Amino acid sequence: MTAASILSDLITPFGYSFMQRALLSCALIGFTNGFLGTFIVLKRQALLADALSHSLLPGLAIAAMIVGLSPGGLLLGGLLAAMLVALGGQLMARNSRLKDETAVASLYIIAFALGIVLIRFSKVKIDLTHFLFGNILGVGNGDLWIAYSAAFLTLSGLVLFHRPLLLVLFDSAVARASGIRVGWLETGLLTLTVLGLVASLQAVGVLLSLGLMILPAATAYLLTDSFTRMLWGGAFLGMFSAVGGLFLSFYANIPSGPCIVLLLGILLAGAYMFSPRYGIVSRLLLGRHFHEGSLQRWKGHEEHHHQVPEVDGENR
Amino acid sequence: MNQLCKNTVPLLRVRDLTVSYHRVPAIHHLTFELEAGHCVGLFGPNGAGKSTLLKSISGLLKPETGSILIGGRELAGSSNLIAYLPQREAVDWDFPVTVEGMVEMGRYHHVGLLGSFSRNDHRAVREALELFNLTPFSRRQIKELSGGQQQRAFLARAWAQQADIYILDEPFAGLDRTSAEALSSALKVLVGLGKLLMVSHHNLAEGELLFDTAILLNGELIACGKTSEVLSPLNLECAYGTAVYSGNRHLS
Repeated sequence: MTAASILSDLITPFGYSFMQRALLSCALIGFTNGFLGTFIVLKRQALLADALSHSLLPGLAIAAMIVGLSPGGLLLGGLLAAMLVALGGQLMARNSRLKDETAVASLYIIAFALGIVLIRFSKVKIDLTHFLFGNILGVGNGDLWIAYSAAFLTLSGLVLFHRPLLLVLFDSAVARASGIRVGWLETGLLTLTVLGLVASLQAVGVLLSLGLMILPAATAYLLTDSFTRMLWGGAFLGMFSAVGGLFLSFYANIPSGPCIVLLLGILLAGAYMFSPRYGIVSRLLLGRHFHEGSLQRWKGHEEHHHQVPEVDGENR
Repeated sequence: MNQLCKNTVPLLRVRDLTVSYHRVPAIHHLTFELEAGHCVGLFGPNGAGKSTLLKSISGLLKPETGSILIGGRELAGSSNLIAYLPQREAVDWDFPVTVEGMVEMGRYHHVGLLGSFSRNDHRAVREALELFNLTPFSRRQIKELSGGQQQRAFLARAWAQQADIYILDEPFAGLDRTSAEALSSALKVLVGLGKLLMVSHHNLAEGELLFDTAILLNGELIACGKTSEVLSPLNLECAYGTAVYSGNRHLS
């Protein structure tokens, strides 16, 4: 096999317009959701996002019943259903003994069951597996527009408000004390999360949409101590994995959603093991005395028995 | 009973303050005034409303009655003049931020949403780090500091924010002796620079050592004034004994 033939094999799929649309959509959504993921991971809302992704289903089903499979209708339906579950969960938690995670979990699983039932009554014939696992090669122009607008809204919103958001993520009580409207920012973040989930439906489906959001940010979190680097690192990891996963799925002839998520999973596993600072293998290799400063002081202490090591200087 | 702290133009003035949770008052009808340049210890038994008082001054809780005035002005919600320092366990120490990055957060209010840091802002950050002896650790992730250094990092952030009133909820809890001493001298530096510090604390024995002024609380105000006078046996009996000053919650 010559280099030229490999190259032509790589390029061939892009002759098809459905493949071009799929690629563009993957890159956009991968980047946007990877970016958003940092906020969700640091807010510790990964499981809430999971709940929201499941609660999209009844909204999609009702939209399909009323307006058929138009992307705009599906977006609106999914958005409404997820917001209802998120806000309903908060309301339930506030008015009863139930804690918020129990309330949200109860609501989303009920919504999910309702969605499966409702899909049977849809006007158009829908394949449930497309909703659940995505159908990237079926990305139409309408879906692309949703991806464009989700990317634009999410990225501009997050960049514009990254400073107050950072304060809220770090410590919401202190943020509120310094006059930041924490409630508004949290609701905005929730809305963008749902938007990101809906936008990634075609690519990876309801069940795997969480992966594009959480996995890149989790990987970046293991690799860096800088918020900015985590933010952009997560975005680029998401983009490259989504595109890479699409390629793999094309050549190995397996569904794109699992392929993308598995690729992200491999990266996360790699960071978990080998991250220079926080990888478990790297930490083992570093030995017991992690901090050079304290090791040196300890050695000095052994030489001069009377000198007590300074406690507040360099210890961790 | 309410022995007011002497003053001319008080920095912080609390009048007739009542704060309730679900209609049950945690503190009621507090009136006191505090001047700049003091380190005020807040004492009282568990459930006396120390955290409640600190949170309402920070703007985190809405008063049911009364008012809080900063420099003679009514406090509308929250203000950048007040820096609330979180309890240590409320902080996610794994957060991807360096000490310097955290102190920079104190400048966000001055810089705005997208503005870039001016020379002035950078200087404020640098000064804050130097003031609390954090310059050598500025590039460290916040978990890699000792407990005392972590507290000082939060003080540095408040300093960069140019706050006048520092609210600290049990900052000495869980610190070893050396870290506590370092924190205490950091607090003294702030007092020397004319700041007002309000610190809740549970160890009465250290009261006079750490604070020049004290507030003794048990639902209502028992005493406010010089630490040695406030922490008198009689006042302490009032605050910690259950017979007289037990507050509304024990009546039922």
